[in-house]
Amino acid sequence: MGSLALTEPVLLILLSLAEQPRHGYSILKDVQEMSDGRVKLSTGTLYGALCRLLEDGWIERFKENDTSRGRQAYCLSRAGRRNLQLEVSRLKHLTRLAILRVAPKET
Amino acid sequence: MLLLYRYLLHLYPPAYRCEFGEEMIAVFREAQTETWHKSLMARVAFCAREAGGLLCGALQEHLRVITGPDFLSLFRSGRFTMRSEFRFPKATAPLMAIILAVIVVAIEKAKAISASVPHTNPLVGPIPPVHFTVVWTLLLVLIFAGTAGALGWAILFALRRSGMHRFSGFNPSGGSRL
Repeated sequence: MGSLALTEPVLLILLSLAEQPRHGYSILKDVQEMSDGRVKLSTGTLYGALCRLLEDGWIERFKENDTSRGRQAYCLSRAGRRNLQLEVSRLKHLTRLAILRVAPKET
Repeated sequence: MLLLYRYLLHLYPPAYRCEFGEEMIAVFREAQTETWHKSLMARVAFCAREAGGLLCGALQEHLRVITGPDFLSLFRSGRFTMRSEFRFPKATAPLMAIILAVIVVAIEKAKAISASVPHTNPLVGPIPPVHFTVVWTLLLVLIFAGTAGALGWAILFALRRSGMHRFSGFNPSGGSRL
């Protein structure tokens, strides 16, 4: 698998797109909701990440009926979904390890 | 605020602005509409966050244009904190030190030989001045540096430390790594 550590904002963006295709503003709102208001992305940060993800083929532009100006939706690509699943597996493994190691010290 | 946003957006490279500019403005408008009904602190935080995001984003994009898509991996553990697995082998520094020492000793030896051999032109040594040109000198330096580099790489390869062997277990179907 290799080292696939994602930053939290990027992970949240991918999770947001994993549910359904979204526009930029919808991604911002969803990321904020998922993080309970802790992660507030700026448009610069969001589109910087979207640009990288598009270049690396993790996300794709989603064609839809609403072609109004500035409304472009994105969705996860197959490669993006696969890599997200790998990252989730990695986090699950870390969480299990953390629970095993931390729990005995609390008793 | 929208005017300031549009102005800051001009800091981005033209290609980026062409691709994402309209989307960013549309998203900013929606976010601004929602935030403008909140407290003063929330609005100030929003403006600061947007301005900071644009400034940092523009700088990153310009640097990516200059240095290539792997720019951020030079300064962080990765673009998305995807760490590149390439590392110079530990033997690189000692081997480079040895090569440098050999070069220094060779230069000192050459100077000693040159000093011991009588020559007609004391300024440039036994090489006739008409042959001592910048082009030939640069060519000699390039050949020497290339040979030294190839020799060093060959030593690392023989020690299985050149990095080429890291790909022996690579599975192309594993997806891209950022």
